[in-house]
Amino acid sequence: MPVDHKRINGPEISIPYQLFDKLNTKSLKTQFSEIVQPNGTRADGRTSTEHRKIFLKTGVVSQAKGSAYIELDQTKVIVSVFDPREIPNKTDYSSKGEIYCEFKFAPFSCHKRRLHQQDAEEQQFSAIMKQALESAVFRHEFPNFQVDIYAMVLHNDGAALSAAITAAGVALAHAGIPMYDLITSVTLAVQGNHLLVDPTLEEERLCQVPLFKEEENNHGIVVLSVLATHEQISQFYQSGYLSYACLSSGIEMLTNAAKDIVTLVKKCLVKHVIKSVRIVED
Amino acid sequence: MSKLKSSCKLGILSRPDGSVLFSQDETTVVAGVYGPVESKANKALVEKACVEAHFRPKSGLPGVKDRLNESIIRNVCEAAIATAMYPRTSVVVVIQEMQNNGQLISCALNAACLALLDSGIDMKCMFAAVTCFIHKDESLVFTPPINEDQVKAMFMFVFDSVEKSIIASHTDGSFSVEQYKDALSLCKEECANMFDFFKKSLTIK
Amino acid sequence: MSEQYKILHPVKYFRDHLAHKIRPDGREFGEYRPIVVNLGSISTADGSAIAKVGRTTVVCGIKAELCQPKAEAANEGFLIPNVELPPLCSSKFRPGPPTEQAQVATQLVADILKNSDCLDLKTLCIFPDKLAWCLYADLICLDLDGALIDACVVALMAALKSVTLPAVQYDPALDNKQVNVQERKALSVTNTPIATTFAMFDDKILIDPTVDEEDLSTSLVTIVVKEEELCFVHKPGGCVFTEEQLLKCVEESTKRATVIEEIIETAFKSL
Repeated sequence: MPVDHKRINGPEISIPYQLFDKLNTKSLKTQFSEIVQPNGTRADGRTSTEHRKIFLKTGVVSQAKGSAYIELDQTKVIVSVFDPREIPNKTDYSSKGEIYCEFKFAPFSCHKRRLHQQDAEEQQFSAIMKQALESAVFRHEFPNFQVDIYAMVLHNDGAALSAAITAAGVALAHAGIPMYDLITSVTLAVQGNHLLVDPTLEEERLCQVPLFKEEENNHGIVVLSVLATHEQISQFYQSGYLSYACLSSGIEMLTNAAKDIVTLVKKCLVKHVIKSVRIVED
Repeated sequence: MSKLKSSCKLGILSRPDGSVLFSQDETTVVAGVYGPVESKANKALVEKACVEAHFRPKSGLPGVKDRLNESIIRNVCEAAIATAMYPRTSVVVVIQEMQNNGQLISCALNAACLALLDSGIDMKCMFAAVTCFIHKDESLVFTPPINEDQVKAMFMFVFDSVEKSIIASHTDGSFSVEQYKDALSLCKEECANMFDFFKKSLTIK
Repeated sequence: MSEQYKILHPVKYFRDHLAHKIRPDGREFGEYRPIVVNLGSISTADGSAIAKVGRTTVVCGIKAELCQPKAEAANEGFLIPNVELPPLCSSKFRPGPPTEQAQVATQLVADILKNSDCLDLKTLCIFPDKLAWCLYADLICLDLDGALIDACVVALMAALKSVTLPAVQYDPALDNKQVNVQERKALSVTNTPIATTFAMFDDKILIDPTVDEEDLSTSLVTIVVKEEELCFVHKPGGCVFTEEQLLKCVEESTKRATVIEEIIETAFKSL
């Protein structure tokens, strides 16, 4: 590990103790069949199209213009949005405002300890977030300015990216940034003919590689961000291999799931409006 | 109880506006002051001078520990310098550690005070830092014990020259409230000697 | 109207409030904000806690890893605290390496840990000179509204109390280690240091300041108390305090410490 002069450094080499656990000799295939029944029922009792219970709250960071906290069962993400500010180090005029996204996993949020600096995965997720949110915001309303959006994953139990995008949409609305539409995002994990909406970390891990060679070797992760009113897709991210038929049925599942979340997002924002109206009345 | 042996040599460096080689007991530092100088656009304050402190360790690059020393030095200097006299400028205090025998922070602060006096910058008051130690046998002394394991706690106080009030306090180890009071009054007595020493050093120059 | 007044004349706004013996958020000078502690909500960490002091929120996650002890301290493990002030928590910060404030906070928390001696590093050693635990305690501030150190220390102590380490079998001859993840044991934390921050403004001492009060104040003092003893009195300069004022702060912080210790204890029992 490189020495960081701005932090307290631990010993040069340290190894996660999980590596020395009594070895788990089960093949990935048996592991997968243990957590997903043939009829699609999963380890936590959900059906394959069922989303986890969502907890959503606005106004969690007092110092930020807008903020939101989302929980998908164990997955916990906090997002804050700040006032538009001038784009740093830019001299020429840009007619559209910019969105700056930073996605970060807390060091203790995953099984393996994350380092403090942003790694390649986090940078990629930041870029995906930016793309997803750009089309939801009236960027022409703040030319030459940028809006900062920071997402921090406190606990990653799968679908952290889509949780962050959904929460960022809510935080943007909470900050009063003009938007075309509400944005929600859902993750899909695919393994063989199993399509699992809103996967846990364990399910995500087992969908990284093809396990069922004899069938079509569909496998992978899809993250879809949807603008609710006209069912427009603002961002699509896929890793792994998917056949066209599998993908189209997957997208249908995801848009349906996204629709369910929109009602929740609306409810959350209405609650915020009622609260602020009450404060003004008092 | 032995008084601390302090010695100093003012103006040892030619480039800075004020400089000093200062040693107290076995601890030695060099301090340099630049100022008031033009400050960077993002640091300039409209109504007062911006005080910057840089602490360089004996070897290697400054780390997190040195950042804490810097913040103490900066805050103390800021309290003593008449910052309102120099708006939109910077005063830079640079401290180089030469040898550390336990009372590094107080030595650095005293050196900073002497360097500021040497530079002729306007100050509201002088300040003097005094460190004292509690041994395992509960005795209170100024000179650090030879063996580090003997120390129960360390106290560092900074006093101003006008009212002899406390500008800064920093401690190490755990201790009772009574011990803290004792250390405070002991250091308060000692700080008068420091101020005398400052005055004497400046007259000689 | 008061919002505009606050932005245009922050100092006068503050002074007017204090003249009426009340703080802008409605508290009295010696009144501290409510404290909330939650333990063990992050299962990927070996110990975790969230502390809220007023609106200041700090989450602490402790992850344990295996390493070789230092040659000069062959029978000791490591406890590495780091305070992170991400741009998320306040508009004062920008993305990039830790700011000076974060570094100073990191060092203060490390000093408090060392001074209070609340965790004997020898208990983290598994086999002298060969194998020891390294606990990475990462403190992340989610909302910065003053009294950062207070919240950090509460979160860190609560998290340390909730840490459980798995049993390790080590064979020094073969350098072979085996970990039994199911069999977990708690750490033995011997005491609970509690930090209290005071801000001074115009000769008035305010306990547990908010970020606005901290910015306007001329001096800050942080006092750490553990079991009737003091283990840290930190005043990094600023305007002067008299001896009586400082000792009054010590007295106040001792009172507050017993209350907070109870809060942590209750949170720990409900775990």
